[in-house]
Amino acid sequence: MTGELATLLLCDGRLPVGAYTYSAGLEPAVAAGLTRDQVPGLLRARLRTVSVTEAAAAVLALRAGLRDPVDHAPVQAALAARTPTAPLREASAALGRGVHRLARRLAADHPAVAALEHAAVPGTAPARPLRPIVTGALAAALGVGEAALARTVLYDDLQTVTSAALKLLPGDPLDAVAWILACEPQLEAAVAESRAVTSADSLPARSAPLTEQWALEHPHNERRLFLA
Amino acid sequence: MPDSPLLPSDAHASSAHSAHTSSPQSTHAHGAHPPTRRALRVGVAGPVGTGKSSILATLCGQLADSLAMAVVTNDIYTDEDARFLRSAGVLPTDRIHAVETGACPHTAIRDDISANLDAVEDLEAAHGPLDVVLVESGGDNLTATFSPALVDAQIFCLDVAGGGDVARKGGPGIRGADLLVVNKTDLAPYVGVDVTRMVADARGARDERPVLALSKNDPDSVAELADWLRDTLARHRAGTLVPRDPGPMAPHSHPHPRP
Repeated sequence: MTGELATLLLCDGRLPVGAYTYSAGLEPAVAAGLTRDQVPGLLRARLRTVSVTEAAAAVLALRAGLRDPVDHAPVQAALAARTPTAPLREASAALGRGVHRLARRLAADHPAVAALEHAAVPGTAPARPLRPIVTGALAAALGVGEAALARTVLYDDLQTVTSAALKLLPGDPLDAVAWILACEPQLEAAVAESRAVTSADSLPARSAPLTEQWALEHPHNERRLFLA
Repeated sequence: MPDSPLLPSDAHASSAHSAHTSSPQSTHAHGAHPPTRRALRVGVAGPVGTGKSSILATLCGQLADSLAMAVVTNDIYTDEDARFLRSAGVLPTDRIHAVETGACPHTAIRDDISANLDAVEDLEAAHGPLDVVLVESGGDNLTATFSPALVDAQIFCLDVAGGGDVARKGGPGIRGADLLVVNKTDLAPYVGVDVTRMVADARGARDERPVLALSKNDPDSVAELADWLRDTLARHRAGTLVPRDPGPMAPHSHPHPRP
């Protein structure tokens, strides 16, 4: 298994894992006043902060998934600590649940997938593995490489924002494609940074305070379309 | 229970009303599923404003005293329908979950059912064992139906106020749902619709599958709706209910020239 087809599957928005319920922070940002011309800036900001952290966590989970025995708990704990806002941890766990359902269907017996049952740290919320951990475990089972995995996680975040923008800040859909392609230098830098991380302790920990604040406000918005 | 035109012929073998307490029957038709204790999942789909939430409220009002029930709503904005149902007071509020659908209600019930499966599983974990989980679709178009991986049976809901010709338009929900409801029949005189004609059109599109002319102000029709659900639950318990996809768009009926 070369993992190349699996890579395409993992970054396809049609993968049935519930990702369409998520706006990657765009809906809370729009509620706080973010305008359409600021979307490219939001994309770059996410690449430098929350997205690179998630991509690096996924790479660590992939590596953990190829060891014997598999232990996802240190990466789960490190990523949870770097996701200080409870609604974002819960959203990540909810999204991870969809990927986990898929992983059980595709590769339930793979040690990386089986070990997800013990990824969550007992007594702490969320009680489920965060999405990057699950994605990394599935990547291990499907033979996806580190760079491809990191790029998939980063690309998915960009595509999630721009496709939500089509609903929240409608405009020319072709603009959204151009926004993503314009992020390539920052995205590739984040791929390299993700692969350079060698342990859970050295997972990037950059604060994105507005993202956190907006996410805290979002559950109180009674007219919301998206999970977060 | 009197014979009802809504019930399939095999339903009379078991008493629907004893479903709650009966143990699963071990003898059933060839090809049937094994008996199950998982909650019966029933989807309610149909266009916006036809009365899906009202059907849920009616079913809960009729049956929640005798069955353990819970509800999942899918709406454009998170919890519009959930709030309606909570305010109707027919179920404890923590038995009503709303899922975010990212403005894709049809996706959430058919193409990618993750969010709804999560909600159903959470309700069963928190309140189980449950007898019935009702899943309400967001209002959508005539092609929106539930995946058989999400629900065991589905109701498609039209209403007379949407126009008497809608039943003739066909589509997978009208043609293939387990039950087609023509709702708000009490409004027919005010909107100039002939209910008998509309129901006949609907029956014509559905082979032998049942059609119910429903008004929440008509107790007989409400009783028939409740009986349909009890019977469906009995068949689910007995392992004879096989979830069916209503299928693709109805084939068009004009003759094609032969090559």
